[in-house]
Amino acid sequence: MELSESVQKGFQMLADPRSFDSNAFTLLLRAAFQSLLDAQADEAVLDHPDLKHIDPVVLKHCHAAAATYILEAGKHRADKSTLSTYLEDCKFDRERIELFCTEYQNNKNSLEILLGSIGRSLPHITDVSWRLEYQIKNTDSPSYPEISFSCSMEQLQDLVGKLKDASKSLERATQL
Amino acid sequence: MLLELSEEHKEHLAFLPQVDSAVVAEFGRIAVEFLRRGANPKIYEGAARKLNVSSDTVQHGVEGLTYLLTESSKLMLYLDNRKEIRTILSELAPSLPSYHNLEWRLDVQLASRSLRQQIKPAVTIKLHLNQNGDHNTKVLQTDPATLLHLVQQLEQALEEMKTNHCRRVVRNIK
Repeated sequence: MELSESVQKGFQMLADPRSFDSNAFTLLLRAAFQSLLDAQADEAVLDHPDLKHIDPVVLKHCHAAAATYILEAGKHRADKSTLSTYLEDCKFDRERIELFCTEYQNNKNSLEILLGSIGRSLPHITDVSWRLEYQIKNTDSPSYPEISFSCSMEQLQDLVGKLKDASKSLERATQL
Repeated sequence: MLLELSEEHKEHLAFLPQVDSAVVAEFGRIAVEFLRRGANPKIYEGAARKLNVSSDTVQHGVEGLTYLLTESSKLMLYLDNRKEIRTILSELAPSLPSYHNLEWRLDVQLASRSLRQQIKPAVTIKLHLNQNGDHNTKVLQTDPATLLHLVQQLEQALEEMKTNHCRRVVRNIK
């Protein structure tokens, strides 16, 4: 995991009870997770009365540091001991390390889902609809959504057969 | 395909069978002149006097004949080119591409730039379609759960074709 000096400095400030009391620490930590995982989150995430007394520059710096670290940890699937080691190096006390790890554990799944969904992929099929038509004569066709095609009964059997082969293969692969 | 004439039109041409062939020939000639150069009232008046009918009758007769000539030539043109015309028309009507073949492949994503150590199975599908003689392919992907759902849905379509209702329709409408 590669972390910059800026992140380290931010965490060192977070470790200091004179800059962040217990309550402020917890609030900032939650705000960092919220910013990453809540789609509706915005700058207002730091607008809490119990954070007002802190210098906004410091607040933003620490919030960014926490968010950056959380993403790196998520990307590399960091375990508790990796997290503890880093936080100890930043001079976190035992209590804050526990708090951080608990909060991380609670949000781990959502974080991994978010990170796993980033990337390019092929167009992904989500559903299929079908219609049986006995064609007597040609009429104007209405507009069709996305990919549509027609097939005869034999062709449909061929298509379904091939998709079933694929799903059987999938089943066997999961039993290896 | 027959030529259809309106009642009025038939009336206008009604007197032609009653006169001799020389007159009909003359009318034919006037009709062709009409096509070439438009109406000539003097000729109508002359003809009307000779046949002892009103000039309106003559005019209607000429116009009726002209219309008959043009409709016939349209039909001739269609009949001569019927095959080609029908082919072009069928190409203009929008048609759905039709299924040709399906290739599939199982993939497992092990890692990405954003997340290491993954196990993300996917089924990659290459769908081959034909449209108006053109062959085109679409490459798509889906996940295992959706694949099972697709198979289930399409098997329902196959089952539906075996029902009494569908069998009856296919049997009785040819």
